[in-house]
Amino acid sequence: MDDHVKEDEQQLNKQVTRRSFLKLMGGLGLAGITMSLAGCSNSSTVEQAGGDGWLPQQYQGRGTWPAQVRGRVPIDPDNPSITRDDQKCILCGQCMEVCDNIQTVAGHYGLPLANDVICVNCGQCTLWCPTAAITERDDIQNVLQFIQDPDKHVVVQTAPATRVALGEEFGLPPGTWVVGQQVAALKRLGFNAVFDTNFTADLTIMEEATELIKRITGEINKPLPQFTSCSPGWVKFCEYFYPDLLPHMSSCKSPQQMLGALAKTYYAKSKNIKPENIISVSIMPCTAKKYEMQRPEMISSAHYWNKKGLQDVDVVLTTRELARMIKQQNIDLSKLPEENYDSMLGEGTGAAIIFGATGGVMEAAVRSAYYFITKQQPPANLLNLTPVRGLEGVKEAAVDVPGVGAVKVAVCHGLSNARQVLDAVRQGNAPWHFVEFMSCPGGCISGGGQPRSAVPPSDEIRMARINSLYQADARAVRRESHENAEVLALYQDFLQHPMSELAEELLHTKYTDRGKKIKEITV
Amino acid sequence: MSKGVLVDITKCIGCGSCNVACKMWNNLQYNQTAPEKGSGLDAENWTVINRVETEKNNEPVWRFVKYQCLHCEEPACASACFSKAIKKTKDGPVVYDVDLCVGCRYCMLACPFNVPKYEWDKTFPRVRKCQMCAGRVYTGDSPACVSVCPAGALTYGDRNSLLAIAREKINSDSIYVKQIYGEKEAGGTSWLYISDIPFETLGFRTNITTTPLPHYTESILSLTPAVGLGWGALLTGMYVYNRRRNEIANEKEKPDKE
Repeated sequence: MDDHVKEDEQQLNKQVTRRSFLKLMGGLGLAGITMSLAGCSNSSTVEQAGGDGWLPQQYQGRGTWPAQVRGRVPIDPDNPSITRDDQKCILCGQCMEVCDNIQTVAGHYGLPLANDVICVNCGQCTLWCPTAAITERDDIQNVLQFIQDPDKHVVVQTAPATRVALGEEFGLPPGTWVVGQQVAALKRLGFNAVFDTNFTADLTIMEEATELIKRITGEINKPLPQFTSCSPGWVKFCEYFYPDLLPHMSSCKSPQQMLGALAKTYYAKSKNIKPENIISVSIMPCTAKKYEMQRPEMISSAHYWNKKGLQDVDVVLTTRELARMIKQQNIDLSKLPEENYDSMLGEGTGAAIIFGATGGVMEAAVRSAYYFITKQQPPANLLNLTPVRGLEGVKEAAVDVPGVGAVKVAVCHGLSNARQVLDAVRQGNAPWHFVEFMSCPGGCISGGGQPRSAVPPSDEIRMARINSLYQADARAVRRESHENAEVLALYQDFLQHPMSELAEELLHTKYTDRGKKIKEITV
Repeated sequence: MSKGVLVDITKCIGCGSCNVACKMWNNLQYNQTAPEKGSGLDAENWTVINRVETEKNNEPVWRFVKYQCLHCEEPACASACFSKAIKKTKDGPVVYDVDLCVGCRYCMLACPFNVPKYEWDKTFPRVRKCQMCAGRVYTGDSPACVSVCPAGALTYGDRNSLLAIAREKINSDSIYVKQIYGEKEAGGTSWLYISDIPFETLGFRTNITTTPLPHYTESILSLTPAVGLGWGALLTGMYVYNRRRNEIANEKEKPDKE
């Protein structure tokens, strides 16, 4: 037995020569190469099938479990107000959060869809998006083209709320009052005339307060409460979700559209400029204004002159776009001197300044309505109507007007708060005569086109901007819309009186029932 | 159990979250020039949402149609792939393994839904398509697109229970077309669709066989062993016969010469 093993070993030792070893190793190598080329080394395709990237935590390991914040809002590529860069979207769900819970738009309509991607264009999602994947649609190039065209007379208007926010883009504290610097910057950018939307805010009050009084006295047969109509996001919201309540909506256009219509009629006539050579630009805290501007009915100047192709407002820029334009020209806003608005459409009162804050339109309207009814100046408490100020969702006040009694008003901001008021009106539980609606929480000062000074917007910044507006109102010489000398001149020279035939043509509008685009949620 | 996804086209709001989730999870490139309204699948675009503008009861309606690899129960692409680079896993996903691929693109020809795409601009191109997040499905998670859908348009689960849900939905609600797309098409797919608009209007291929495509070739290719062996046997027989005949002929010649 032992001998046999020994013999085998000897034989083995003999066989492993240098040559046979190399042959063995070469053979093994060839076999290995063949096998790896054939893919035998990779057995688990499942684990390497995709998945090189990442997803936010709420989508990991959840299987089909519910997630509180999921996905994102739909945005039509043709949306005139907002746009989204998919490459920057991280599916954090913040746009859905604000659209669904604060504005009650996404997720608040039934499916399947009609032929519309439901959006009220308020742009709050642009303020909540942490990566700025959602932004306003950039219209700067359009404006630059018009400014460079020597044949065009480019007029610009600035909304009440931009003057307390634009400075934030240049390092100034939130709420800094930069009205004069803003005018100076616009003149340096090459605009031919700089007007103030406050002028038409006062005009809106003249028309809207007159309309309210006519509704109360029964002179026009429209229901109470009257709804304000200056927030285009809110108007579209009402058209979608509460079309049955559209008769409550004031027929007044928003201040932006009033100024656009007047720029191409009243201003064009007085200055002897061809209306087709006037380009009307507006600087707004709002993305919905970009949508409002291109509504098909906003062509009063075309009707007035009987000329096709005229549009009352040609381009809307948000506060953020204006800031970018100023920076591109290397202008430091904070170092500019203060300049004044141009006359004719440039004067505004304290009542118009506070349009930018929630409750402001109501307060301004109450001041002038009191005057229209009693022919007396309103008492001091109406110049400081604290119940409708501040950030509470729905605010109410009752104002004693001699000869009429208590006029009851309500104010709401943010569309989820609007639903509370609207549902009460629908059920017939609305004691109010007049209700102010603002699409964005806090009013225009926190509109979808404002600087992203906090993401998402904070109440501290909202209050800083609001306080700045009320302070400006308090120090204004004229604090009631009916005291605006340029507005009075406009009536004297052109419109005759509030709600005259011409005023109806230029300053009032009609609404569209969009109820068909929405289905009631059945489940 | 084989997994699947049920797409309820009536529930889609067109937000495109699924498309972004797919890009993020699979690290795919964004194409800045592609129109957002809808485009075809390509090597970096594994799922698309096409907006179909059509009519229902004489009213204009829009429908958003998610499209991606349908993950056939018996995939023609896997059947056509001789290097086994495409396989159907037991969880349901039809997955592609770049290490085994020889780049012949037979899968692209074989697919009845025109899904696999090729990296034409690369030196060493890969075939690219939705993998149904096989890695996530393997660990019990849903595919990335399903997990991000805010509208509830996508439901993930066992294919059989999804079929039951789909049947219940289309039978209980009269708005639905009485068809589950993917139940029988190409022999059945892991992804299933229900809709209130006829599928051909939405751009689906409806003139498709219900026989699993590999079956067509199987009836012929199953004869391969018999043909192979029989041919070999025939040739061997002929060889043996000829050799024997030559031997006999040679033997006959020998005596003559001697």
